[in-house]
Amino acid sequence: MLDTNTGKTAMFAKFDKLSERIEGLYGNGRRPFGMLFERILSPTRGVIGGKEVLLAGTNNYLGLTFSEECTTAAKDAIDRHGTATTGSRLANGTFAEHVELEEALKAFFGAASAAVFTTGYQANLASLSALGGKGDHLLIDADSHACIYDGCRLSDAETYRFRHNSPEDLAKRLSRLPETGARLVVIEGLYSMLGDVAPVDEFVEVAHAHNAMLYVDEAHSVGCYGPTGRGVAEAQGVLDRVDFISGTFSKSFASIGGFCISRHAEFDRMRLASRPYLFTASGTPSAIAAARAALDVIAGPARLERRLWARIEQLYAGLSEAGFQPVSPPGPIMAVERPDDKLAMREWNALMDAGIYVNLMIPPATPQGKSLLRISMSAAHTEADVDRILGAFRDLRALQAT
Amino acid sequence: MTPEMQPIFDRVEAILRTHTKVDTVITPDVQMGADLSLDSVDMFDLVMEIEEAYDISFPIEEASSISTVGALVEAIGRRTNA
Repeated sequence: MLDTNTGKTAMFAKFDKLSERIEGLYGNGRRPFGMLFERILSPTRGVIGGKEVLLAGTNNYLGLTFSEECTTAAKDAIDRHGTATTGSRLANGTFAEHVELEEALKAFFGAASAAVFTTGYQANLASLSALGGKGDHLLIDADSHACIYDGCRLSDAETYRFRHNSPEDLAKRLSRLPETGARLVVIEGLYSMLGDVAPVDEFVEVAHAHNAMLYVDEAHSVGCYGPTGRGVAEAQGVLDRVDFISGTFSKSFASIGGFCISRHAEFDRMRLASRPYLFTASGTPSAIAAARAALDVIAGPARLERRLWARIEQLYAGLSEAGFQPVSPPGPIMAVERPDDKLAMREWNALMDAGIYVNLMIPPATPQGKSLLRISMSAAHTEADVDRILGAFRDLRALQAT
Repeated sequence: MTPEMQPIFDRVEAILRTHTKVDTVITPDVQMGADLSLDSVDMFDLVMEIEEAYDISFPIEEASSISTVGALVEAIGRRTNA
Protein backbone atom coordinates (compact mmCIF):
# COMPACT_ATOMS: atom_id res chain seq x y z
CA MET A 1 0.00 0.00 0.00
CA LEU A 2 1.23 3.51 -0.79
CA ASP A 3 2.52 5.31 2.27
CA THR A 4 1.02 8.66 1.38
CA ASN A 5 3.60 10.80 3.13
CA THR A 6 6.68 8.93 1.89
CA GLY A 7 5.17 8.55 -1.56
CA LYS A 8 4.42 12.25 -1.75
CA THR A 9 7.90 13.22 -0.61
CA ALA A 10 9.52 10.96 -3.19
CA MET A 11 7.29 12.33 -5.92
CA PHE A 12 7.55 16.06 -5.28
CA ALA A 13 10.96 16.48 -3.62
CA LYS A 14 12.51 16.95 -7.06
CA PHE A 15 10.85 20.37 -7.31
CA ASP A 16 12.05 21.60 -3.88
CA LYS A 17 15.21 23.35 -5.02
CA LEU A 18 13.53 25.19 -7.88
CA SER A 19 10.54 26.20 -5.73
CA GLU A 20 12.79 27.52 -2.96
CA ARG A 21 14.82 29.57 -5.38
CA ILE A 22 11.78 31.12 -7.03
CA GLU A 23 9.95 31.79 -3.76
CA GLY A 24 13.12 33.39 -2.36
CA LEU A 25 13.36 35.60 -5.41
CA TYR A 26 9.70 36.64 -5.26
CA GLY A 27 9.91 37.71 -1.62
CA ASN A 28 6.87 39.87 -0.93
CA GLY A 29 6.76 41.26 -4.44
CA ARG A 30 4.69 40.27 -7.44
CA ARG A 31 5.02 36.87 -9.05
CA PRO A 32 6.28 37.45 -12.59
CA PHE A 33 6.08 33.83 -13.71
CA GLY A 34 2.56 32.79 -14.58
CA MET A 35 1.44 36.41 -14.10
CA LEU A 36 -2.32 36.74 -14.14
CA PHE A 37 -3.68 38.97 -16.88
CA GLU A 38 -7.21 39.78 -15.80
CA ARG A 39 -8.13 41.30 -19.14
CA ILE A 40 -6.47 42.12 -22.42
CA LEU A 41 -7.82 45.40 -23.77
CA SER A 42 -5.79 45.73 -26.96
CA PRO A 43 -2.49 44.49 -28.42
CA THR A 44 -0.72 46.97 -26.13
CA ARG A 45 -2.93 47.23 -23.03
CA GLY A 46 -3.99 44.75 -20.39
CA VAL A 47 -5.28 44.70 -16.83
CA ILE A 48 -3.05 43.21 -14.14
CA GLY A 49 -3.87 43.47 -10.44
CA GLY A 50 -6.85 45.67 -11.26
CA LYS A 51 -4.65 48.21 -12.99
CA GLU A 52 -4.25 49.05 -16.67
CA VAL A 53 -0.77 48.19 -17.87
CA LEU A 54 1.17 48.96 -21.04
CA LEU A 55 2.17 45.60 -22.55
CA ALA A 56 5.75 45.50 -23.77
CA GLY A 57 6.50 41.81 -23.47
CA THR A 58 3.86 39.87 -25.39
CA ASN A 59 5.58 39.00 -28.71
CA ASN A 60 2.61 40.57 -30.48
CA TYR A 61 4.95 42.00 -33.11
CA LEU A 62 2.41 43.10 -35.69
CA GLY A 63 -0.33 43.80 -33.16
CA LEU A 64 -2.92 41.79 -35.10
CA THR A 65 -4.66 40.04 -32.17
CA PHE A 66 -7.52 42.55 -32.15
CA SER A 67 -7.50 43.28 -35.88
CA GLU A 68 -10.75 43.20 -37.80
CA GLU A 69 -9.25 40.60 -40.16
CA CYS A 70 -8.23 38.09 -37.49
CA THR A 71 -11.14 38.46 -35.08
CA THR A 72 -13.77 38.24 -37.84
CA ALA A 73 -12.08 35.19 -39.39
CA ALA A 74 -11.89 33.45 -36.00
CA LYS A 75 -15.54 34.15 -35.14
CA ASP A 76 -16.73 33.03 -38.59
CA ALA A 77 -14.76 29.80 -38.24
CA ILE A 78 -16.48 29.01 -34.94
CA ASP A 79 -19.88 29.69 -36.53
CA ARG A 80 -19.08 27.43 -39.47
CA HIS A 81 -17.11 24.60 -37.81
CA GLY A 82 -17.66 24.85 -34.06
CA THR A 83 -15.02 25.25 -31.38
CA ALA A 84 -12.81 22.22 -32.03
CA THR A 85 -11.81 19.58 -34.55
CA THR A 86 -11.85 16.82 -31.90
CA GLY A 87 -9.31 14.74 -33.78
CA SER A 88 -5.83 14.43 -35.23
CA ARG A 89 -4.85 15.44 -38.74
CA LEU A 90 -4.62 11.80 -39.80
CA ALA A 91 -8.09 10.92 -38.51
CA ASN A 92 -10.92 13.46 -38.55
CA GLY A 93 -8.94 16.66 -37.86
CA THR A 94 -8.07 17.83 -41.38
CA PHE A 95 -10.53 20.53 -42.42
CA ALA A 96 -10.43 22.50 -45.66
CA GLU A 97 -8.95 25.43 -43.72
CA HIS A 98 -5.92 23.42 -42.54
CA VAL A 99 -5.14 22.44 -46.12
CA GLU A 100 -5.78 25.95 -47.45
CA LEU A 101 -3.44 27.41 -44.83
CA GLU A 102 -0.74 24.94 -45.85
CA GLU A 103 -1.22 25.89 -49.49
CA ALA A 104 -1.06 29.59 -48.61
CA LEU A 105 2.19 29.04 -46.67
CA LYS A 106 3.67 27.16 -49.63
CA ALA A 107 2.80 30.06 -51.90
CA PHE A 108 4.11 32.66 -49.40
CA PHE A 109 7.50 30.97 -49.02
CA GLY A 110 7.71 29.53 -52.55
CA ALA A 111 8.03 26.10 -50.91
CA ALA A 112 7.35 22.59 -52.22
CA SER A 113 5.70 21.37 -49.02
CA ALA A 114 4.15 22.79 -45.88
CA ALA A 115 2.65 21.30 -42.74
CA VAL A 116 0.66 23.03 -40.03
CA PHE A 117 0.90 21.96 -36.39
CA THR A 118 -1.20 22.61 -33.30
CA THR A 119 1.40 24.74 -31.51
CA GLY A 120 4.72 26.32 -32.39
CA TYR A 121 6.46 24.03 -29.90
CA GLN A 122 5.01 21.04 -31.73
CA ALA A 123 6.15 22.34 -35.13
CA ASN A 124 9.79 21.83 -34.14
CA LEU A 125 9.09 18.80 -31.99
CA ALA A 126 7.23 17.09 -34.84
CA SER A 127 9.57 18.05 -37.67
CA LEU A 128 12.90 17.44 -35.94
CA SER A 129 11.89 14.19 -34.26
CA ALA A 130 10.74 12.82 -37.62
CA LEU A 131 13.69 14.11 -39.66
CA GLY A 132 16.35 12.81 -37.26
CA GLY A 133 16.46 9.06 -37.89
CA LYS A 134 18.80 6.40 -36.51
CA GLY A 135 22.37 7.04 -37.62
CA ASP A 136 21.60 10.64 -38.61
CA HIS A 137 23.27 13.70 -37.13
CA LEU A 138 21.49 16.80 -35.85
CA LEU A 139 23.65 19.86 -35.17
CA ILE A 140 21.97 22.59 -33.18
CA ASP A 141 22.96 26.07 -32.06
CA ALA A 142 23.76 26.04 -28.33
CA ASP A 143 21.22 28.83 -27.66
CA SER A 144 18.36 26.92 -29.33
CA HIS A 145 14.86 27.10 -27.89
CA ALA A 146 13.67 24.22 -25.69
CA CYS A 147 11.46 22.85 -28.47
CA ILE A 148 14.51 22.32 -30.68
CA TYR A 149 16.29 20.49 -27.89
CA ASP A 150 13.17 18.44 -27.17
CA GLY A 151 12.60 17.62 -30.85
CA CYS A 152 16.15 16.30 -31.03
CA ARG A 153 15.70 14.27 -27.85
CA LEU A 154 12.59 12.68 -29.29
CA SER A 155 14.45 11.75 -32.49
CA ASP A 156 16.62 8.67 -32.99
CA ALA A 157 19.54 10.77 -34.25
CA GLU A 158 22.68 11.84 -32.38
CA THR A 159 22.57 15.54 -31.50
CA TYR A 160 25.55 17.86 -31.22
CA ARG A 161 25.69 21.49 -30.12
CA PHE A 162 27.83 24.13 -31.75
CA ARG A 163 28.77 27.53 -30.39
CA HIS A 164 26.01 30.10 -30.66
CA ASN A 165 25.94 31.88 -34.03
CA SER A 166 29.30 30.42 -35.04
CA PRO A 167 29.45 29.00 -38.58
CA GLU A 168 33.17 28.35 -37.92
CA ASP A 169 32.44 26.09 -34.96
CA LEU A 170 29.71 24.35 -36.96
CA ALA A 171 32.16 23.69 -39.81
CA LYS A 172 34.59 22.08 -37.37
CA ARG A 173 31.91 19.84 -35.94
CA LEU A 174 30.57 18.84 -39.37
CA SER A 175 34.06 17.86 -40.48
CA ARG A 176 34.42 15.59 -37.42
CA LEU A 177 31.29 13.57 -38.27
CA PRO A 178 31.45 10.17 -39.91
CA GLU A 179 30.44 10.01 -43.59
CA THR A 180 27.37 7.88 -42.85
CA GLY A 181 23.89 9.20 -42.06
CA ALA A 182 21.97 12.33 -43.02
CA ARG A 183 22.98 15.70 -41.50
CA LEU A 184 20.71 18.50 -40.42
CA VAL A 185 21.83 21.87 -39.04
CA VAL A 186 19.24 23.66 -36.89
CA ILE A 187 19.36 27.38 -36.12
CA GLU A 188 16.92 30.19 -35.34
CA GLY A 189 16.54 33.31 -37.46
CA LEU A 190 16.03 35.60 -34.46
CA TYR A 191 16.82 34.29 -30.97
CA SER A 192 13.98 34.82 -28.54
CA MET A 193 15.90 35.73 -25.41
CA LEU A 194 18.76 38.00 -26.48
CA GLY A 195 17.13 39.13 -29.72
CA ASP A 196 20.19 38.45 -31.84
CA VAL A 197 20.01 37.44 -35.49
CA ALA A 198 21.75 34.42 -37.04
CA PRO A 199 24.06 34.74 -40.05
CA VAL A 200 21.76 32.43 -42.01
CA ASP A 201 23.63 33.18 -45.25
CA GLU A 202 26.90 31.93 -43.75
CA PHE A 203 25.25 28.91 -42.16
CA VAL A 204 23.70 27.84 -45.46
CA GLU A 205 27.14 27.91 -47.11
CA VAL A 206 28.76 25.87 -44.35
CA ALA A 207 25.90 23.36 -44.10
CA HIS A 208 25.66 22.71 -47.83
CA ALA A 209 29.45 22.55 -48.22
CA HIS A 210 29.42 19.69 -45.70
CA ASN A 211 26.48 17.88 -47.28
CA ALA A 212 24.07 18.94 -44.53
CA MET A 213 20.59 20.44 -44.85
CA LEU A 214 19.70 23.69 -43.07
CA TYR A 215 16.61 24.12 -40.87
CA VAL A 216 15.80 27.65 -39.69
CA ASP A 217 13.24 28.40 -36.98
CA GLU A 218 11.81 31.82 -37.87
CA ALA A 219 9.23 31.88 -35.04
CA HIS A 220 10.11 35.43 -34.01
CA SER A 221 11.21 36.77 -37.38
CA VAL A 222 8.49 36.00 -39.93
CA GLY A 223 6.49 39.16 -40.45
CA CYS A 224 9.31 41.31 -39.03
CA TYR A 225 12.35 40.74 -41.26
CA GLY A 226 12.92 40.70 -45.01
CA PRO A 227 11.67 42.98 -47.78
CA THR A 228 8.35 41.08 -47.88
CA GLY A 229 8.22 39.86 -44.27
CA ARG A 230 9.35 36.29 -44.95
CA GLY A 231 11.99 36.38 -42.25
CA VAL A 232 15.74 36.55 -41.72
CA ALA A 233 16.55 34.08 -44.52
CA GLU A 234 14.76 36.42 -46.94
CA ALA A 235 16.48 39.47 -45.45
CA GLN A 236 19.85 37.83 -46.10
CA GLY A 237 18.93 36.72 -49.62
CA VAL A 238 19.00 32.96 -49.01
CA LEU A 239 15.31 32.07 -48.68
CA ASP A 240 15.47 29.77 -51.71
CA ARG A 241 18.48 27.89 -50.36
CA VAL A 242 17.26 27.09 -46.84
CA ASP A 243 15.93 23.52 -46.74
CA PHE A 244 13.34 23.92 -43.97
CA ILE A 245 11.74 26.92 -42.27
CA SER A 246 9.59 26.51 -39.20
CA GLY A 247 7.56 29.09 -37.37
CA THR A 248 4.74 29.78 -34.98
CA PHE A 249 1.31 31.36 -35.28
CA SER A 250 1.47 32.68 -31.73
CA LYS A 251 3.44 35.84 -32.44
CA SER A 252 3.08 37.86 -35.64
CA PHE A 253 0.27 35.53 -36.77
CA ALA A 254 -1.94 36.51 -33.79
CA SER A 255 -3.12 32.97 -33.11
CA ILE A 256 -1.73 29.66 -31.87
CA GLY A 257 -0.18 26.88 -33.91
CA GLY A 258 2.95 26.39 -35.96
CA PHE A 259 4.25 25.39 -39.34
CA CYS A 260 7.20 23.93 -41.16
CA ILE A 261 7.79 24.46 -44.87
CA SER A 262 10.41 22.89 -47.09
CA ARG A 263 11.76 23.37 -50.57
CA HIS A 264 11.75 19.56 -50.73
CA ALA A 265 8.39 17.97 -51.60
CA GLU A 266 9.46 14.80 -49.76
CA PHE A 267 9.06 16.56 -46.41
CA ASP A 268 5.35 15.76 -46.75
CA ARG A 269 6.12 12.11 -45.94
CA MET A 270 6.84 13.19 -42.37
CA ARG A 271 3.07 13.25 -41.77
CA LEU A 272 2.98 9.46 -41.55
CA ALA A 273 5.89 9.18 -39.15
CA SER A 274 5.89 12.16 -36.79
CA ARG A 275 4.40 11.36 -33.41
CA PRO A 276 3.75 14.98 -32.29
CA TYR A 277 1.89 15.47 -35.60
CA LEU A 278 -0.04 12.20 -35.49
CA PHE A 279 -1.02 11.87 -31.87
CA THR A 280 -2.57 15.22 -31.07
CA ALA A 281 -5.72 17.05 -32.09
CA SER A 282 -5.36 19.53 -34.93
CA GLY A 283 -5.57 23.29 -34.51
CA THR A 284 -9.01 24.64 -33.69
CA PRO A 285 -10.96 26.16 -36.59
CA SER A 286 -10.76 29.63 -35.01
CA ALA A 287 -6.98 29.41 -34.49
CA ILE A 288 -6.39 28.24 -38.05
CA ALA A 289 -8.67 30.94 -39.46
CA ALA A 290 -6.97 33.71 -37.46
CA ALA A 291 -3.53 32.53 -38.61
CA ARG A 292 -4.70 32.46 -42.21
CA ALA A 293 -6.11 35.99 -41.91
CA ALA A 294 -2.83 37.20 -40.41
CA LEU A 295 -0.85 35.54 -43.20
CA ASP A 296 -2.97 37.41 -45.73
CA VAL A 297 -2.14 40.68 -43.92
CA ILE A 298 1.58 39.84 -43.78
CA ALA A 299 1.61 38.87 -47.48
CA GLY A 300 -0.50 41.93 -48.37
CA PRO A 301 0.37 45.58 -48.91
CA ALA A 302 -0.04 46.83 -45.30
CA ARG A 303 3.67 46.43 -44.40
CA LEU A 304 2.99 46.70 -40.67
CA GLU A 305 6.62 45.87 -39.97
CA ARG A 306 7.57 49.39 -41.05
CA ARG A 307 5.64 50.77 -38.08
CA LEU A 308 7.24 48.12 -35.88
CA TRP A 309 10.75 49.13 -36.97
CA ALA A 310 10.07 52.81 -36.32
CA ARG A 311 9.21 51.94 -32.69
CA ILE A 312 12.20 49.60 -32.46
CA GLU A 313 14.60 52.36 -33.50
CA GLN A 314 13.01 54.79 -31.05
CA LEU A 315 13.21 52.35 -28.12
CA TYR A 316 16.74 51.22 -28.95
CA ALA A 317 18.09 54.75 -29.11
CA GLY A 318 16.30 55.73 -25.89
CA LEU A 319 17.42 52.68 -23.92
CA SER A 320 21.02 53.10 -25.01
CA GLU A 321 20.93 56.76 -24.04
CA ALA A 322 19.45 55.91 -20.64
CA GLY A 323 22.29 53.47 -19.91
CA PHE A 324 20.28 50.33 -20.60
CA GLN A 325 22.14 49.17 -23.68
CA PRO A 326 20.29 46.21 -25.21
CA VAL A 327 22.53 43.18 -25.65
CA SER A 328 21.83 42.91 -29.40
CA PRO A 329 21.39 45.34 -32.30
CA PRO A 330 17.92 46.89 -32.78
CA GLY A 331 15.19 44.29 -33.32
CA PRO A 332 11.66 43.31 -32.22
CA ILE A 333 13.17 41.74 -29.09
CA MET A 334 15.35 43.96 -26.96
CA ALA A 335 16.93 42.42 -23.89
CA VAL A 336 18.74 44.42 -21.25
CA GLU A 337 21.17 42.41 -19.16
CA ARG A 338 21.11 42.97 -15.40
CA PRO A 339 23.94 42.14 -13.00
CA ASP A 340 21.91 39.48 -11.13
CA ASP A 341 18.43 38.04 -10.78
CA LYS A 342 17.65 39.97 -7.58
CA LEU A 343 18.19 43.40 -9.09
CA ALA A 344 16.38 42.28 -12.25
CA MET A 345 13.44 41.24 -10.07
CA ARG A 346 13.39 44.59 -8.22
CA GLU A 347 13.55 46.52 -11.46
CA TRP A 348 10.83 44.37 -13.00
CA ASN A 349 8.62 45.19 -10.00
CA ALA A 350 9.40 48.90 -10.33
CA LEU A 351 8.41 48.81 -14.00
CA MET A 352 5.14 47.14 -13.02
CA ASP A 353 4.57 49.89 -10.43
CA ALA A 354 4.96 52.33 -13.32
CA GLY A 355 2.38 50.35 -15.32
CA ILE A 356 4.80 48.72 -17.76
CA TYR A 357 4.84 44.97 -18.35
CA VAL A 358 8.07 43.48 -19.72
CA ASN A 359 9.42 39.93 -19.36
CA LEU A 360 11.69 39.00 -16.52
CA MET A 361 14.03 36.26 -17.73
CA ILE A 362 16.44 34.43 -15.44
CA PRO A 363 18.55 31.26 -15.62
CA PRO A 364 18.07 28.43 -16.41
CA ALA A 365 15.61 29.71 -19.04
CA THR A 366 18.20 32.14 -20.44
CA PRO A 367 21.36 31.52 -22.43
CA GLN A 368 24.75 31.92 -20.76
CA GLY A 369 23.16 32.27 -17.32
CA LYS A 370 22.06 35.86 -17.95
CA SER A 371 19.38 37.78 -16.01
CA LEU A 372 17.38 39.92 -18.40
CA LEU A 373 14.62 42.47 -18.70
CA ARG A 374 13.19 41.53 -22.08
CA ILE A 375 11.05 43.89 -24.11
CA SER A 376 9.16 42.98 -27.26
CA MET A 377 7.93 45.71 -29.54
CA SER A 378 4.68 45.83 -31.51
CA ALA A 379 3.56 47.68 -34.60
CA ALA A 380 0.60 48.67 -32.42
CA HIS A 381 2.80 50.60 -29.99
CA THR A 382 2.68 54.36 -30.43
CA GLU A 383 5.49 56.86 -30.13
CA ALA A 384 3.96 57.94 -26.80
CA ASP A 385 3.94 54.32 -25.58
CA VAL A 386 7.67 54.03 -26.24
CA ASP A 387 8.27 57.36 -24.45
CA ARG A 388 6.45 55.95 -21.42
CA ILE A 389 8.54 52.77 -21.45
CA LEU A 390 11.70 54.85 -21.68
CA GLY A 391 10.60 57.11 -18.83
CA ALA A 392 10.03 54.09 -16.61
CA PHE A 393 13.49 52.73 -17.46
CA ARG A 394 15.12 56.07 -16.69
CA ASP A 395 13.43 56.01 -13.29
CA LEU A 396 15.09 52.66 -12.55
CA ARG A 397 18.43 54.40 -12.17
CA ALA A 398 17.30 55.77 -8.81
CA LEU A 399 16.61 52.18 -7.74
CA GLN A 400 20.12 51.09 -8.69
CA ALA A 401 21.57 53.70 -6.37
CA THR A 402 19.76 52.25 -3.32
CA MET B 1 41.63 4.40 -14.28
CA THR B 2 44.14 2.71 -16.57
CA PRO B 3 47.69 4.13 -16.98
CA GLU B 4 46.91 5.15 -20.60
CA MET B 5 44.33 7.53 -19.21
CA GLN B 6 46.81 9.42 -17.01
CA PRO B 7 47.84 11.99 -19.67
CA ILE B 8 44.14 12.68 -20.39
CA PHE B 9 43.45 13.04 -16.68
CA ASP B 10 46.34 15.48 -16.27
CA ARG B 11 45.11 17.66 -19.12
CA VAL B 12 41.48 17.52 -17.94
CA GLU B 13 42.61 18.47 -14.42
CA ALA B 14 44.43 21.52 -15.79
CA ILE B 15 41.35 22.58 -17.81
CA LEU B 16 39.05 21.98 -14.82
CA ARG B 17 41.18 24.25 -12.65
CA THR B 18 40.33 27.15 -14.95
CA HIS B 19 36.57 26.40 -14.69
CA THR B 20 36.04 25.76 -10.98
CA LYS B 21 36.46 28.11 -8.07
CA VAL B 22 36.53 25.22 -5.61
CA ASP B 23 40.02 24.51 -4.37
CA THR B 24 39.90 20.77 -3.79
CA VAL B 25 42.01 17.79 -4.77
CA ILE B 26 40.73 16.57 -8.13
CA THR B 27 40.49 12.79 -8.38
CA PRO B 28 38.59 10.60 -10.86
CA ASP B 29 35.79 10.20 -8.31
CA VAL B 30 35.19 13.91 -7.88
CA GLN B 31 31.67 15.00 -8.92
CA MET B 32 31.76 17.99 -11.22
CA GLY B 33 28.41 19.32 -10.00
CA ALA B 34 28.43 18.56 -6.27
CA ASP B 35 32.20 18.79 -5.60
CA LEU B 36 33.38 21.41 -8.11
CA SER B 37 30.16 23.49 -8.13
CA LEU B 38 29.92 23.49 -11.92
CA ASP B 39 26.40 24.29 -13.08
CA SER B 40 24.93 23.50 -16.50
CA VAL B 41 26.37 26.69 -18.04
CA ASP B 42 29.86 25.90 -16.64
CA MET B 43 29.57 22.32 -17.89
CA PHE B 44 28.67 23.52 -21.36
CA ASP B 45 31.77 25.74 -21.47
CA LEU B 46 33.94 22.96 -20.08
CA VAL B 47 32.73 20.38 -22.62
CA MET B 48 33.20 22.90 -25.46
CA GLU B 49 36.79 23.55 -24.37
CA ILE B 50 37.56 19.85 -24.09
CA GLU B 51 36.05 19.21 -27.52
CA GLU B 52 38.32 21.92 -28.92
CA ALA B 53 41.38 20.58 -27.11
CA TYR B 54 40.92 17.04 -28.42
CA ASP B 55 39.19 17.84 -31.74
CA ILE B 56 36.24 15.62 -30.81
CA SER B 57 32.47 16.10 -30.43
CA PHE B 58 30.27 14.63 -27.74
CA PRO B 59 26.60 14.04 -28.55
CA ILE B 60 24.47 16.04 -26.06
CA GLU B 61 23.13 12.94 -24.39
CA GLU B 62 26.60 11.58 -23.71
CA ALA B 63 27.89 14.94 -22.47
CA SER B 64 24.97 15.40 -20.08
CA SER B 65 25.37 11.90 -18.63
CA ILE B 66 28.95 12.60 -17.50
CA SER B 67 29.02 13.44 -13.81
CA THR B 68 32.49 12.53 -12.51
CA VAL B 69 35.95 13.57 -13.63
CA GLY B 70 36.76 9.90 -14.24
CA ALA B 71 33.76 9.46 -16.52
CA LEU B 72 34.84 12.51 -18.50
CA VAL B 73 38.36 11.14 -18.88
CA GLU B 74 36.99 7.75 -20.00
CA ALA B 75 34.67 9.43 -22.52
CA ILE B 76 37.57 11.38 -24.02
CA GLY B 77 39.57 8.14 -24.14
CA ARG B 78 36.81 6.40 -26.11
CA ARG B 79 36.60 9.25 -28.62
CA THR B 80 40.35 9.55 -29.09
CA ASN B 81 41.05 5.79 -28.99
CA ALA B 82 43.57 6.35 -26.20
